[in-house]
Amino acid sequence: MTEVFVNMGEISSSKNQGILTTVGLGSCVGVALYDPQVKVGVMGHIFLPQSRPNDPQAPPGKYADTGIPAMIEEAVRLGASRSRLHAKLAGGANLFPNLSMSSTSIGQQNINAVVEHLKKHGIPVVSQDVAGSHGRKMRFFVENGVVTVTAIGKDPVEI
Amino acid sequence: MKEARLDFLRELANIGTGHATTALSQMLNGRLFQLVVPDAQMLPFTEAAEYMGGAEQVVVGIFIVISGDVKGHMAFLQPLESALVLLRLLTGIEQPELDELGRSALQELGNIMVTSYLNALSTMTNLLMVPSVPGLAIDMAGAVWESVLAGAQVTDEVTVIRTRFSADGEDIEGHILFLPDHEDFEKVARLFGLGEL
Repeated sequence: MTEVFVNMGEISSSKNQGILTTVGLGSCVGVALYDPQVKVGVMGHIFLPQSRPNDPQAPPGKYADTGIPAMIEEAVRLGASRSRLHAKLAGGANLFPNLSMSSTSIGQQNINAVVEHLKKHGIPVVSQDVAGSHGRKMRFFVENGVVTVTAIGKDPVEI
Repeated sequence: MKEARLDFLRELANIGTGHATTALSQMLNGRLFQLVVPDAQMLPFTEAAEYMGGAEQVVVGIFIVISGDVKGHMAFLQPLESALVLLRLLTGIEQPELDELGRSALQELGNIMVTSYLNALSTMTNLLMVPSVPGLAIDMAGAVWESVLAGAQVTDEVTVIRTRFSADGEDIEGHILFLPDHEDFEKVARLFGLGEL
């Protein structure tokens, strides 16, 4: 089965089959959008919550505010219905908790932004493994919508 | 412009790692040597993790916030195996797994590395650069990289300084990221007689 690796800021999609994988989620948030009826899956690897004017060349998937709408459009392009889409989330950790650079860690800011933009588009978050202080690998099986999350030295866990 | 910036960073890296190696070597009874002139490379930020042997490789990452005349961030990343060699030299104990003591020893080694690097630059430029208490993460390279880049708000390219040491006949690899805020980078560059980079 084809496994596609989704790097920071990228969006990848698949229909009916294949695995969409994000390795090494730290403060980034991995988003898996799925329409179970037509088996359309889209994965995003969101880097920061909000797009910025000094980075106009950025791919939409880099920021939550541009990434979520772009992911929905990609799902619809492959035949998904907006009303059937749901989301699973992983990541948004704070790997350096003793360096409190602001009251809300970047990981948490990313989670908040992703949840807010999904809500704006009426997409429910059905499961998640977020926050904490460890990195994660996220795999999204498009044939059935299963998402697994792995931490170093641990077995994969389905979310 | 890009080449001038890289040359300048290489120069900073030479000064910084030279001092850092000396400081570390003193702790290790003179058993640590710098092997090669540090190499600076500018990478698109998405490729940074691959550069160190893949996003899933376990690395030890030290991350600090710099305040003072120059504000920004700095990180020191090592493959886990390299960090374990350093730890063995420091403690004389072979540690296949890291316990709390090992973690704090690694944190201290990383701390010495980055603070002596910053001190060297500080002395040369007469600009105050104060490191914070170091943060330590032992995790997937990809997770550590993106957390460092997001923390420093690096959104396009990142300059990575790769350096190699030798200790007791074993190679130790380390990657240094000196990430001053944009305007402060210009400040440092000007002091070195460089114009707009």
